[in-house]
Amino acid sequence: MIPEVETPPKPGSPAPEDTSQQERNELEAAWKHPGEIFGWFSVTTHQAIGKRYIITAFIFLLIGGIEALLMRFQLALPENTFLSPHRYNQIFTTHGTTMMFLFAVPMMEGMGIYLVPLMVGTRNVAFPRLNAFGYWIYVLGGIFLYAGVFTVAAPDTGWFAYVPLSGPQFGIGKGIDFWAQMISFTEVSAMCVAAELIVTIFKMRAPGMSLNRIPMFCWGMLVQSFMVIFAMPAVMLASTFLLLLDRTVGTHFVNPAEGGDPLLYQHVFWFFGHPEVYIIFIPALGMVSSILETHSRRGIFGYPAMVLSLVANGFIAFGLWVHHMFATGLPQIGEAYFTAASMMIAITSGIQIFCWLATIWTGRLQLVTAVYFVVGFFFIFVLGGLTGVMLAAIPLDLQVHDTFFVVAHFHYVLIGGALFPLFGGFYYWFPKFTGRLMNETLGKINFWLVFIGFNLTFFPMHILGLKGMTRRIYTYQMEMGWGPANLLATIGACIIAIGGIVFLANVFSSRKRGPLAGNDPWEAGTLEWATTSPPEIYNFLHIPVVHGRYPLWTAPMEPIAVTGMRNDRREVLVTTLMDAEPHHRYVLPGPSIWPVLTALAVTLGFAGSVFKFAWYFPGAILAGICLIGWFWPRPPLKLQP
Amino acid sequence: MTAHEHLDVSGLPAYDISNQAPLWWGQLIMTAIEGTLFCILIATYFYLRLSVDIWPAAGARLPHLSLPTLALAPLILSAFGSYWATEAAKKNNRRGMILGMLLNLVLSAIFLAMRLFEWHSFNFNWASDAHGSIVWTILGLHTFDFVGGMIETLVLLIIILSGRYGEKQRQGVHVDSVVWYFVVGIWLPLYAVIYWGPQVVGTPL
Repeated sequence: MIPEVETPPKPGSPAPEDTSQQERNELEAAWKHPGEIFGWFSVTTHQAIGKRYIITAFIFLLIGGIEALLMRFQLALPENTFLSPHRYNQIFTTHGTTMMFLFAVPMMEGMGIYLVPLMVGTRNVAFPRLNAFGYWIYVLGGIFLYAGVFTVAAPDTGWFAYVPLSGPQFGIGKGIDFWAQMISFTEVSAMCVAAELIVTIFKMRAPGMSLNRIPMFCWGMLVQSFMVIFAMPAVMLASTFLLLLDRTVGTHFVNPAEGGDPLLYQHVFWFFGHPEVYIIFIPALGMVSSILETHSRRGIFGYPAMVLSLVANGFIAFGLWVHHMFATGLPQIGEAYFTAASMMIAITSGIQIFCWLATIWTGRLQLVTAVYFVVGFFFIFVLGGLTGVMLAAIPLDLQVHDTFFVVAHFHYVLIGGALFPLFGGFYYWFPKFTGRLMNETLGKINFWLVFIGFNLTFFPMHILGLKGMTRRIYTYQMEMGWGPANLLATIGACIIAIGGIVFLANVFSSRKRGPLAGNDPWEAGTLEWATTSPPEIYNFLHIPVVHGRYPLWTAPMEPIAVTGMRNDRREVLVTTLMDAEPHHRYVLPGPSIWPVLTALAVTLGFAGSVFKFAWYFPGAILAGICLIGWFWPRPPLKLQP
Repeated sequence: MTAHEHLDVSGLPAYDISNQAPLWWGQLIMTAIEGTLFCILIATYFYLRLSVDIWPAAGARLPHLSLPTLALAPLILSAFGSYWATEAAKKNNRRGMILGMLLNLVLSAIFLAMRLFEWHSFNFNWASDAHGSIVWTILGLHTFDFVGGMIETLVLLIIILSGRYGEKQRQGVHVDSVVWYFVVGIWLPLYAVIYWGPQVVGTPL
């Protein structure tokens, strides 16, 4: 590159001095949050909502973690009486439910909501009020579940609540109804996020960011969002139609006496349940790619292969659900198909792992904490993948079905595949969230504690499972010889907990006293690093124009940024799907109290229906009124010019 | 510092009523979600069919095919009302929007009345057996969507009639048609499953 006397500044950097302050003031006025408590509930910016998702999901992670510790204390010794059998059932159910529905998915969505608009170079998500509504419905769903746990009854039939155990005949009490309806809350929330992220990525990318230049994390969120659209309706059907209607209005979907079939529930649940795993970890794969390309100082190796394998993962995930049901006596030819499909996942995952290895190999790896977590992810996730291939084989699956081997497997893939990248992502993007870097020494202590603790906890579970320890038993006899491995697992769980405390300490101290990060502490290539840390409320002074896959690593080219947008209202640029050519300007709605009111109305319907179906009607009517308020025209009605 | 070349977009329109609009895409995704739900319900119908010998249960009586088939006429025509309204919305033709939505509402009200009438002919409900459960679930969910779509159209009609509307509300009329095409279109396979299902995959008499 020939040095020029005057190189154009990087994309998104301020325009000439004279006008920029005035533009800043205008944007600030157009985007500022409404004040007061009333205003706090009206906020619709993606940064605020994303942070709320992340913090709320983290609180649920802590709750789910405490539940895990309680279970480990119970199992530490043979014939322990720390928890009653009934309490133990409730705790493993709320643990699984909390981790899957209230922590993992919302956490990934929170990261997506915060990062995607910054990465694609726009000012907010496509549907800001829907975004706010999705957050409120998620929080209310979480509160609803725990309100049930602490008052009426806790669910006690496991996180997938198989019938007939959870059905009207054996599922006594209201706990299971609370569980079933909590699903509705979280799935509505997930669908809202999916819709707005797809449209944000498809239609609101900065000019020049054609499909082949979308950052890897955005690809992850895009594939995840499409999976949400096609998987989540299944679980709503399973929980609110098959299960809840059978329990509350006397339908017979799962009642064999009247022509129903309990297996139907399993089919519909796992048609969601298997993609759910990928819904959780595909965004994490995007995080791994983002961290590795920045810290290897090069673009991701094999971008098209990576993208295609992510997309292929998304498709294959829908053809695997029966491998959760090998023990149900389905026809063998069908089972064989699902074995083959399950093993195919190893191909797409293998492509990704090799692309990442090639990225590291051909780059210059910086061993920061985020990279530690990525390497930890490789180690654990590959082990989890290997047991996954083992479990895809029917003979072995039948042998270890419902044992701790399965528990070990899915904690390896879920904690390894989602939590480690998430921690890495947190260390990586924390400077963007807060403007300050996290402490590296504490970070590495955090990593080693969690990594060692994790393997101590879950590796022995493979052996316990092979020895025949079934999952979900509340205790075991001394003679079984499972004591030492269980004690080791409990010690490991405590080490993970200490690691979690170190992480929290690091977050709280770094947020106040960490070194200032500046715009781009890692010298990364994607657009979120082009703006200040934390970003201004309007993200970018000017919408950037992109000339490469890594705009901050590409030699500056003109035009550098978009002008001619109106700054006195919340205007964004809509671009074409393939090539991201500017198409029209689009005025986003501002703050509104209606999303939270609508969420409350929906909550009335959902929560009431647990007791009586008719509560749906006042809920629907009130929600309808709120929606009319939400969409009622407000001045100024004219958008042009 | 001198000014660098910028991409000036001040000449672009500040809104768009077409399939380039984010709102249109969002609505498309919402219909994909609903469509998935109905697809799984159809799969459930046939799954339940396979697990019993007699389908529907002996004595279960569905409405005669003529009424639900006749009801397709106002339903399909109502989609033309939506189309009329949406084309008028693009051209900012207030009269066209009003007439299109009015046509839509009148025809869909006729369809709804026919549906409520034919519900009297069912001699089973959702708590009768598995067949009743799936049929009434499909009917209930589609009716919920249908009434929701009608209310949406009605509210838009009132807004347009009031004259206090701008480009956003015209966009509303445009995407409202997406909802309506979906509600109409999805009924065709659902109709086939509910009313023709027993004829095709039912127990031979």
